[in-house]
Amino acid sequence: MSYAHPEYLVETDWVAAHSGDPKVRIIESDEDALLYATGHVPGAVQVDWFSTLQHPLRRDFLTKEKFEEVNSNLGIGNDTTVVFYGDKSNWFACYALWLFQYYGHKNVKIMNGGRAKWEQEKRPLVKDVPSYARTSYQAKEADSSIRAFRDEVLKQSSSKKPLVDVRSPKEYSGELISMPNYPQEGASRGGHIPGAVSIPWAQAVNEADSTFKSDEQLRALYEGKGVKPDGEVIAYCRIGERSSLTWFVLKYLLGYPKVKNYDGSWTEWGNLVNAPIEK
Amino acid sequence: MSLPPKLQEIVDDFASMTRQEKVESLIAYSESLPPLPERLQAERDKMDAVPECMTPVQLIAERQADNGIVFHFDIPPQSPTVRGLAAILANGLNGSQAEEILSVPADFFAPMNLEEAITQQRINGFIGVLAHMKQASLKLVTSK
Repeated sequence: MSYAHPEYLVETDWVAAHSGDPKVRIIESDEDALLYATGHVPGAVQVDWFSTLQHPLRRDFLTKEKFEEVNSNLGIGNDTTVVFYGDKSNWFACYALWLFQYYGHKNVKIMNGGRAKWEQEKRPLVKDVPSYARTSYQAKEADSSIRAFRDEVLKQSSSKKPLVDVRSPKEYSGELISMPNYPQEGASRGGHIPGAVSIPWAQAVNEADSTFKSDEQLRALYEGKGVKPDGEVIAYCRIGERSSLTWFVLKYLLGYPKVKNYDGSWTEWGNLVNAPIEK
Repeated sequence: MSLPPKLQEIVDDFASMTRQEKVESLIAYSESLPPLPERLQAERDKMDAVPECMTPVQLIAERQADNGIVFHFDIPPQSPTVRGLAAILANGLNGSQAEEILSVPADFFAPMNLEEAITQQRINGFIGVLAHMKQASLKLVTSK
């Protein structure tokens, strides 16, 4: 057995061999955006999940036009292979990949193990920021089949379809509502969406080198909790970044056909008037 | 209320920097943060398991003979932003008296215009680290 769609994952070796490949663009996407400036994979450019990928006013992603501009500036063409990597076991790399998919960029990959593995292997990190010839990128209309909004989540919950809560156990149980240092990420209520099962994201990765667990391990993990490949699955966390990792695992490593990421996540649900909550 | 002179100096420095200089300076601060001294390793208190999104910040405050307070940090190298912010605070406040530290306004960093270099979410780390430092200072002076 192997992963359902192994073409969505590359190893550090592959990235090292393709860092100068004009058909490939390597993108670093971190929780701590300063990491890129401390040294990055040679040839890699940076996107920041917040300043690059969010809408400047609304709580939403950047618009399709803005996405086209970002890609054009990074020298990404419609047929460029885009490889993402980042800190924290590739959370924000998966988030960026998910957003690229949302706007129709199909040829995307995650570097297995992310920054942590690259560093562990003592591979080179450079500080110079490369620039690439501008392109005229054309995005597709947003693909709503991979993004869940609250009404859909409510329906999913009331019809008892699988919801995966990937937050830490204390967030799931409701003991912990908000993070003292993250005032924007608070919620006024704690708990989880009724019917959601708790499968913390970290269970999908190997702690030692941040790589993904094997397909057998992953299948046992999710199917063991009743999250089966048939039917629709929605994953959520607090702001949608950890759950984009779980979304990636379910969709590409295990091949579940219908998986959505609920990026509103707990910062929306836990503040939503009248939304049902379980503790 | 005026800031301790060293901290004021750093704030003024940043205020006059370009975006790129701010990024480089934050990284330099981050790299300058010394490791937790050997003798304090055992005192790393078991902080609450920090929710995984957050950078674990370990902090120890010590009182010197003149009652000035010195801070030691333990922050992983994978979190240069928080390390940088902590190093700025340590550089700006080490040796200050508890009252001086307690009177640093929570928004002291506004004139640094850090939002040019790092996102607002990250800048809020300042608020968190400073709050930690104030708590530790208060604990020192109240415990004698």
